[in-house]
Amino acid sequence: MSQIIVITSGKGGVGKTTTTANIGVGLAMRGNKVALIDTDTGLRNLDLLLGLENRILYDLVDVTSGRVQYKKALVRHKKYENLYLLPTSQIKDKSAVNPDQLVKLCEEMKKEFDFIIIDCPAGIEQGFKTAIAAADTAIVVTMPEISAVRDADKIIGELGRADKENIKLIVNRIRPQMVEKGDMLDMGDIDEILSIVCIGQIPDDEKVVVATNRGEPAITMSDSTAGQAYKNIVARLCGENVPFLKPQKEGFFARLKKLFGLL
Amino acid sequence: MSDIVSIKGLKYGLQLTFAKGASFDDVQANLLDKLQSGNSFFIRGTTVFVPKGHFAEEQNETLRKMFHRHGMLFSTELKRPNLAPPSRDSAKSPSQKFKESVEEAQKMMVINHTIRGGQEIKANCSVLICGNVNPGAQVIAGGSIDIRGTCRGFVHAGAFGDKTACVVADRLMPAQIRIADIIARAPDEPEKVNQAERAMIRDNQIIFEPVAR
Repeated sequence: MSQIIVITSGKGGVGKTTTTANIGVGLAMRGNKVALIDTDTGLRNLDLLLGLENRILYDLVDVTSGRVQYKKALVRHKKYENLYLLPTSQIKDKSAVNPDQLVKLCEEMKKEFDFIIIDCPAGIEQGFKTAIAAADTAIVVTMPEISAVRDADKIIGELGRADKENIKLIVNRIRPQMVEKGDMLDMGDIDEILSIVCIGQIPDDEKVVVATNRGEPAITMSDSTAGQAYKNIVARLCGENVPFLKPQKEGFFARLKKLFGLL
Repeated sequence: MSDIVSIKGLKYGLQLTFAKGASFDDVQANLLDKLQSGNSFFIRGTTVFVPKGHFAEEQNETLRKMFHRHGMLFSTELKRPNLAPPSRDSAKSPSQKFKESVEEAQKMMVINHTIRGGQEIKANCSVLICGNVNPGAQVIAGGSIDIRGTCRGFVHAGAFGDKTACVVADRLMPAQIRIADIIARAPDEPEKVNQAERAMIRDNQIIFEPVAR
């Protein structure tokens, strides 16, 4: 049974594309055949995160307008052979693809792939409506910040209106120290407002930036806490029951080191 | 039964025609039925035209009142209604209007899900929400508002001026609350609420008091 998952958030910059890349790689590492579709036409980034920009020949607009078969536009990942990217156009804009075209495309791709993951653009306009049209599962990404939570709430409402019932939550960029001090919303606050199933809590991790710039998702790095959190999310998507990571407290020695570093 | 009254959409409203030989009582019952069934024809603010001289003047008056109660205008002349001064203000004494608004407020709309940011609930009657009212959501009711959950959004009870309206929630921490024409906003330092509370007007101020549930 193949799944079509849309990764969305409403607010920009919370980590939709990073999440898409990491979950995609994670599912592929487990041997699933995965296709990632970037629908952020005009502002595509997913190819950069996967380090595949220089291999793009055709794009989503070429496919939906019927110029080429989707198989021609797919870019195979250099390392994970069962991971494919369907990039979008950087020249056209969101109006170039409509919901019906994407539904049709996903129906066709469903026969070939175990997972189709759609990276949704920010906002609630045309691009969002196109991206969610085909999905049967939606993953809402948010951050522990009131504006991001507010937008996630709005997006969940919109998804409900579009009859998407399977909605899951990922909270990205949590800073345990700030939560502990009460300077950041904690999971309880977020759960209470959004009240949907949470499948991931990802700590803020500098290695994600490194990974992005290198074009290798954090999930491939063994020493990244965010990567570990993404691995757990992938396991939960595959139906495993994995406990949430304990927030890592700064240890005594780390604090001591910092102190001396400051002095 | 359904053929007693037929409805035809016009540019400015709805034209009603009645079956031959139908009595006034039958017509009235039929119309009331249609109004209460939530028929999408009868949108608030629509003008309903009834052919002049079909019914006696006092019968027309009864229909006029019935439509007014459902938020519609009534006319016997086929022309664009003059929207500026609503005819009902002159036709009814204030006490009568108040009585009608109280009757309206005693009805209740039940909403069985959480109201999320950007969503809006508007009702002439009271509203019962089985779920939360999230930040950024709006609930505006002619009557009172009961929230079986946490209220963090914007609530306005007694929107037509009923100062006896109240707002009850398991946890009442709205961004802004209005009852009739009185406005209160949340304190700038948010406080945790752990008990069901009721907001109502006392001495021209909105006060919160704990209630048992």
